[in-house]
Amino acid sequence: MSCSECNQTIMQSHTLLKESQIMKIHYITGIAAIFVVAVHILMRLVVPFEQSLEYEYIIANYKNILYVLILESILVLISVHGFNGIRIILLELRQSRAWENMVTIVTISAMIALIAYGTRTIILVNGL
Amino acid sequence: MKEIEQPTRNNLEGIGGWLNPSRYGWERISYWFQRLTGVFLLIYFIGHVYETSTIVNGQNAWESFLELTQTVWGHLFLIMVIGASTFHSANGIRLVFTHVGIGLGTPGRPDYPYSPASLNYRQKSGIWIALILSAVAMYYGFNVLFGV
Repeated sequence: MSCSECNQTIMQSHTLLKESQIMKIHYITGIAAIFVVAVHILMRLVVPFEQSLEYEYIIANYKNILYVLILESILVLISVHGFNGIRIILLELRQSRAWENMVTIVTISAMIALIAYGTRTIILVNGL
Repeated sequence: MKEIEQPTRNNLEGIGGWLNPSRYGWERISYWFQRLTGVFLLIYFIGHVYETSTIVNGQNAWESFLELTQTVWGHLFLIMVIGASTFHSANGIRLVFTHVGIGLGTPGRPDYPYSPASLNYRQKSGIWIALILSAVAMYYGFNVLFGV
């Protein structure tokens, strides 16, 4: 077994995805987020800015199922992209197996918590 | 199987290495900005998710939270968010292209003064475009938020 194969086997033994796959997810979520965030911003700009923040206007937005899907996708895409970005930065600063495991667990937990909290808002406001 | 020994800490410079201004080129500024804007935008995003959740508590809760954010300082903060997100997006697209090999040019012999072939005008133009787009977006955001 060559050294690179040996290294790869070791890395695969304690990670679900390869770093190259995680980077692809990072890029895809980043590019997809640009499009959905653009729609989100456009929804603020099609009416005067002050009006776009009015309670009734926001509630009406949340009742639109297409817009709800966009909001949920923004939540998931940016959470995955953002917390993976933090993970990459933290792994650049320090390298050890314990550190990598800790960083991965903390960032995934924070990502799930943020998605859950944002989804709760979307569901509750949709039902108002 | 014998495990490859991993040092406990390779990057001894840490965040201090990012902030060291003595080795700055455009690429280094771009690297630093990409991380800085990324962390800033994630913090904003968490705050934004929390901010919008106040609408669940009714109109009064929503409007009283808006009073906190719809101020001059709140608007200036939003303009920074606009600039950071535009730079992060445009520079991020450049990085995706670079990662797949677009815009790197052909490999060249490393002659004195050893300018890397990969850090060519295409890369520098990409960084400039990201900075210019960011400034334009901030100007547009200023006009919308302050009604100039």
